[in-house]
Amino acid sequence: MRIQVSQELLDRQLVDRDGRLIGKVDDVEFGFDADGVPYLRSLLSGPGVLGQRVGGRLGRMLVLTAERFVTDRPMAPLRIPYALVMRVDSAVWLRVSADELPTSPVEEWLRRNLIGRIPGADRASG
Amino acid sequence: MRKLLAATLGILSAVGGFVDIGDLVAAGQAGARFGMAHAWVLLLGVVAICAYAEMAGRIAAVTGRAVFDLIRERLGARMALVNLVASYLVTVITLAAELGGVALALRLATGVPYLLWVPVAGIAVWLVLWRMRFPVMERVFGLAGLALVVFAVALFWLPTDWAALGRGAVAPDDSGQGWGAYWFVAVALFASTVSPYEVFFFSSGGVEERWSVNDLADARFSVLVGFPIGGFLALSLIATAAVVLRPAGLSVDSLDQVAHPVVLAFGGVGLAVAALAFFAVTFGAALETGLSAAYAAAQYFGWQWGKRVSPREAARFHTVLLVSVLLGVLLLLTTVDPVTLTEYMLIISAVALPLTYLPILVVANDRTYLGDRVNGRALNLLGAVLLVVILAASIVAVPLAIGTRMGQ
Repeated sequence: MRIQVSQELLDRQLVDRDGRLIGKVDDVEFGFDADGVPYLRSLLSGPGVLGQRVGGRLGRMLVLTAERFVTDRPMAPLRIPYALVMRVDSAVWLRVSADELPTSPVEEWLRRNLIGRIPGADRASG
Repeated sequence: MRKLLAATLGILSAVGGFVDIGDLVAAGQAGARFGMAHAWVLLLGVVAICAYAEMAGRIAAVTGRAVFDLIRERLGARMALVNLVASYLVTVITLAAELGGVALALRLATGVPYLLWVPVAGIAVWLVLWRMRFPVMERVFGLAGLALVVFAVALFWLPTDWAALGRGAVAPDDSGQGWGAYWFVAVALFASTVSPYEVFFFSSGGVEERWSVNDLADARFSVLVGFPIGGFLALSLIATAAVVLRPAGLSVDSLDQVAHPVVLAFGGVGLAVAALAFFAVTFGAALETGLSAAYAAAQYFGWQWGKRVSPREAARFHTVLLVSVLLGVLLLLTTVDPVTLTEYMLIISAVALPLTYLPILVVANDRTYLGDRVNGRALNLLGAVLLVVILAASIVAVPLAIGTRMGQ
């Protein structure tokens, strides 16, 4: 399959099998196969890689803000092997469910320490 | 019958999304100082918001993605982040102004100082966002906001000189206050009708309610009926101010003066209806601006957002929502005057307008997203002309504000 990384992948919404929003394609990672031919290995998502790509003071501020929520720095991005991509349209659809992927550490922290503690956090209001 | 009901509800949401504290202040000031001389600005604003909301709704229905989601794909990560920071700030300042409007409406109804109402308004807005069902909340506040029609009714009750009103609308002049002040008010009024949060909110609502191509006609219908009704209500605010406040030489520096014409016409009942209408439109707009601020952030970063999932599953979205409401309350607790805050808010919104509207026009022409549902030639021409107006308003806003000392 031919795909233009910068046009069709970068900055696009990642969506799981059930339509839940996972994050954006903040960066991509290439690998080399046995013959030394480069291929698209995985999609990366997370404020660490996004901040690097944004660059400058704004990018650094983004990374520093996100890193306040994690203990192991630098922050590891969510790494999604390209083989898990089912199709690409206005979003990048994955074959897996969000539960099978690691949750973002910032989301995890806020869920545990702030939002999850407010009564009614488990009910969707529709 | 069901279809009629659904259409009515869509229109209610559009009306609710249109009138807010910015319209109350800008329309009241325009009418009190310049009579009907800004009626054309309102008309232009309504055409602009209809055209661009239609595009945003179509994008949402065809691609299933909201405006800010696509802004990042089009502008790139860095430019879109700059855009996000600017849009977020403008939206949170708008939220603060709306909360101030809620507090002023409550003061109008109860006589208790508005500052005491600010924390109450903040908590109430957050609670509604946390708990209430989305369509219900839009409709309740849209319906209550229709009480603004009391201003149009008052026009018939008062000894209105309709011919003079009409003349003022078709032959604008500066009323001896200087053209600088005239254009300053024009920019503020224009910004109040095309507030960017309306588009964020409209397109995110479309995604949340899972619009498809089949819903396009309904969405278009609610926009094309609802926003003009909102525009008509704003026009009646200008007209009552022109009839009552202008001859008396009163200026608008609080919501009391905006309500004055209906109090004159209907006494205590008029005051109660006006206070209810002010409360409904500002509270509804506070909900929408709060959500819009959180939508923009979530859609830039790709976080789970919306009210269909539990807050626990959208913890970052709900954190931004909570922080935004808190920031709005804190801004008001600095005792900045809510009407002054609204004036400044309108000027910075005017500056930020192109950040929202330019990307919408670009995406609405992108066949990779929309296929053959891209803009037609006529809509593109209209969109381009309106974009020139938006750019002009954005460029002149700050020089006008400084040059006229905020329209003095």
